[in-house]
Amino acid sequence: MRQSKPAIYRNAVFLVAVCASALAGHFAKAQSGSTLAAKFGPSIALQQGATAGKLDIRIPLQDKSVRFAVIGDSGTGDRAQYEVAQRMEAYRQAVKFDFVIMLGDNIYGSHSPKDFVKKFEQPYKPLLDAGVKFYASLGNHDDPDDERLYKPFNMGGERYYAFRKGEAAFFALDSNYMDPKQLSWLEQNLKDSQGTWKICFFHHPLYNDGRHHGADADLRTQVLPLFQRYGVNAVFSGHEHVYQRIKPENNIYFFVLGNSGKLMTHDFGATKDRVKGFDTDQSFMLVEIAGGKLYFQTISRSGETIDFGELPRLHP
Amino acid sequence: MGLYVWRSWLSLGLVSVLLFPCAIAQNGDDGAVKEFQGRIDNYLSAKKKQDIAKKPTDSPSKLAQEKEQTAEKTKKARPEAQRGDIFTPPVAAYFKKQIESTLQGPEGEKVRASLRHAEPLPNVQLKVNAKYPKNLPLQSTPPTLLMNLPPLPKGLQYRIVGSTLVLYDVSSGLVADFIPNAVPAA
Repeated sequence: MRQSKPAIYRNAVFLVAVCASALAGHFAKAQSGSTLAAKFGPSIALQQGATAGKLDIRIPLQDKSVRFAVIGDSGTGDRAQYEVAQRMEAYRQAVKFDFVIMLGDNIYGSHSPKDFVKKFEQPYKPLLDAGVKFYASLGNHDDPDDERLYKPFNMGGERYYAFRKGEAAFFALDSNYMDPKQLSWLEQNLKDSQGTWKICFFHHPLYNDGRHHGADADLRTQVLPLFQRYGVNAVFSGHEHVYQRIKPENNIYFFVLGNSGKLMTHDFGATKDRVKGFDTDQSFMLVEIAGGKLYFQTISRSGETIDFGELPRLHP
Repeated sequence: MGLYVWRSWLSLGLVSVLLFPCAIAQNGDDGAVKEFQGRIDNYLSAKKKQDIAKKPTDSPSKLAQEKEQTAEKTKKARPEAQRGDIFTPPVAAYFKKQIESTLQGPEGEKVRASLRHAEPLPNVQLKVNAKYPKNLPLQSTPPTLLMNLPPLPKGLQYRIVGSTLVLYDVSSGLVADFIPNAVPAA
């Protein structure tokens, strides 16, 4: 179709006007974002982008299921932590998880009041405001006294503790200091638990293909026999700043998620224990427990689903 | 009959000679543990007089304030504190022996591996009754090692920093005492 010269000019002028308006809008947005970021920190500036776009949801969202998110080694206060937190909030709105388990290193570096705000309260503010509860376990960068007493971490003033959500029983352990007293507490609580799913979470991984820290074989020697004897179904750990799904061992599923804030890129050595690994961006997990199955989805900071699946309960 | 009695006495004598060094070592160990526990009791009773009952709170400022107060009061409770007050020479010798035997035991290699996987250590100067160095991650203490050391009451923990065994006061964040070169080189 041929156009007359005036029509071509009119279209060209229109095109230039549209481009100019789009560019002006873009700069205005970027400007307002950076101004807000300067004033309130990165969370506000990122809020607009993180919720945009369609979410990829790979968990079934069944009625009366237990849904939670998992983060590990999160407390840097850096931009990446805020971006993961924004992504989590976008998913919370769709998936309606109502609690988060924290795999340690919740606050890196100093533990001044400002650090609690910058490295926890501010990035997760939308989640906290929505009533999401955080259950922390202690990492080697955490202050065991301050953090056990910090109410938003829901530790009840203890280094290690248990809680129940629906049919799932959770055991938050202090792997920094697994003394005989904690081991007997663990044994007694696993033994007495009526949960049909028993889930343990703590900082140091029992299996780990990452090169930075590796697996804690001594911890494994002490706790694995208890996990086996009392039917633990899944274990979540952090410490290594990557994501790993480990081959099930002794009918137990193991996950390592230590990259919700810190990241150790290209950290993997030879594949020994892992089924799936991810070490090029930060991530978090969504978990849903319904009946005899555990569904999981691991999502990167940029919103990519990097792993997902459904796992049957292997212990009766 | 006479021969039987003579043989019995001889056997008893031999058994005693063989067991005697172990008995001395056992008594020595018991004494060291008892001394250590006594010194821990003294530490805690001095601290208890000054202690603040901490409760969970929403306020990080309150936590920081209480920690600072606990540290100040703990320091004041033992103004003359110095290295070796709790880990006296016989107690330190006992701990070194326990650590060495753990490292030479069946789980020794795993314990060593766990220590090797610790965060890299900056150059730190430990001081009794002073704050545990800021930003120094608390190295996890291998569980097998903890099984071979005397149990501690709530609020005190053993920590390994390089080759040093530290007695860490959790509520005040202070170093209560330490033993340098407690962990022998591989």
